[in-house]
Amino acid sequence: PAGPGGVAVPRAGLKKLALPPDYSGITFPEKPKLKFMDKVPAVPKVRREPRRLRDIRGPSQVATDFTQGQYGILALGGGYLHWGHFEMIRLTIGRSIDPKSMFAVWRVAAPYKSVTRKSLGHRMGGGKGPVDRYVTAVKSGSLVVEVGGRCEFGEVRPFLARVAQKLPFPAVPVSRESLQGMRREEEEKRLGNQNPWTFERLAASNMLGVRKYLSPYDLELKGRYWGKFFLRHRV
Amino acid sequence: GPVPVPVPVLSAAPAAWLPALQLLRRGSKAVTRHWKAMHFQRQKLLALTEYLPPRPAVPPRCLPRRTAEGHEVRHGPVRGSAGTGGCPPPGSDTGVGQSLGETFPGCVIHGLGCGGGWEMPGQVLETGERSLPEGLWVFHVHPELPFFFPGACIDDTILSRQGVENFARLPPLEVSQGQTVAALALPSSQTSSLLQRGPARLTALLDEHIRRLREAGGPTEPPPGQSTGNC
Repeated sequence: PAGPGGVAVPRAGLKKLALPPDYSGITFPEKPKLKFMDKVPAVPKVRREPRRLRDIRGPSQVATDFTQGQYGILALGGGYLHWGHFEMIRLTIGRSIDPKSMFAVWRVAAPYKSVTRKSLGHRMGGGKGPVDRYVTAVKSGSLVVEVGGRCEFGEVRPFLARVAQKLPFPAVPVSRESLQGMRREEEEKRLGNQNPWTFERLAASNMLGVRKYLSPYDLELKGRYWGKFFLRHRV
Repeated sequence: GPVPVPVPVLSAAPAAWLPALQLLRRGSKAVTRHWKAMHFQRQKLLALTEYLPPRPAVPPRCLPRRTAEGHEVRHGPVRGSAGTGGCPPPGSDTGVGQSLGETFPGCVIHGLGCGGGWEMPGQVLETGERSLPEGLWVFHVHPELPFFFPGACIDDTILSRQGVENFARLPPLEVSQGQTVAALALPSSQTSSLLQRGPARLTALLDEHIRRLREAGGPTEPPPGQSTGNC
């Protein structure tokens, strides 16, 4: 290396090595792989239940934060997961993780809600159809699975992204930090919004008589949800 | 809209009663698989209440462009490159290249297309040594006219062909920096060697200096001589 005046200054090289990540605070569950989920609950429902689609609508109140793992799949929309989805998740994640150093846990319940279907080709009427399958309702903002262990986000993200793509609702792989970052960005967006007119304000005060065209649920959903869809671009 | 359907009466004195009219809603429910069509008033409300990002006082296009590291972007894709102003018409690259090779001997010529911003239109030359700094760019003359000015703008100074040639013959940056540092360090090194000689020699030098000052300017008072004690 040339110093001032063109004289070579001998200098020993100093290599700066990054510290390996610290996995001290991680507790492994008994079984590292995902548990098998039943198609039908142990006590199948006798009475057919109404559709109650409000279990898809709106933001989730359960399973919104990480418990055991560091990475997971976040649902960005509402939907129903049935046994086929559960098997896909279980097998894909089971194939991709190393059980000695990584683990995965479910954050959704086994299918509990009976869904009926009428046989093909018949006209309307004749009563409610028989139970076709059992599903689990997932609202937007809830975690589906959590993965943890001695691994980095970059290792985990590819197969989590593949799983997330196959789910019936939009989903993304997240880590603890990225989820925090998403929440912080949302908050910043909400605070830094230059528009003095927000959906919440107009709906709550019924400005312009908009409540004629809004649902009473829109007072809580605040224009960020439409049916089962989560409108991420809305503030 | 919802169509009212009259409800048949169950008995003369019913224990419980149903409302007289049941509103049978046809159409889809609130939560559907598909994207439910929104009332136009609701669409207008959503359009009105969209997110507006905060705008800085000075638009970023008026500020000097910065790369991801924070350095100022210097126009020009290749370090130490010059080019011609204006945009050569398509198909005439060979002629322009030849003329450029004549005007700038000893330079490698690249071909570049126009468009995609105005950073480097026209032909690009690369000098042998990296003697041209990153501040080199090509000023953009009207792209429509086939006007070729062999020159460049280096460090906010427009140079002609001769100027670029002279600039290319300058020593490299490191060499010139070294020379400057050496020139600056020379007096201090000389001073240090001078002070290490000895007090007698220093006294003699100072007397000589004072005598010269007295000879040079009578009215100008020489600096007050400090007594040099024998160490």
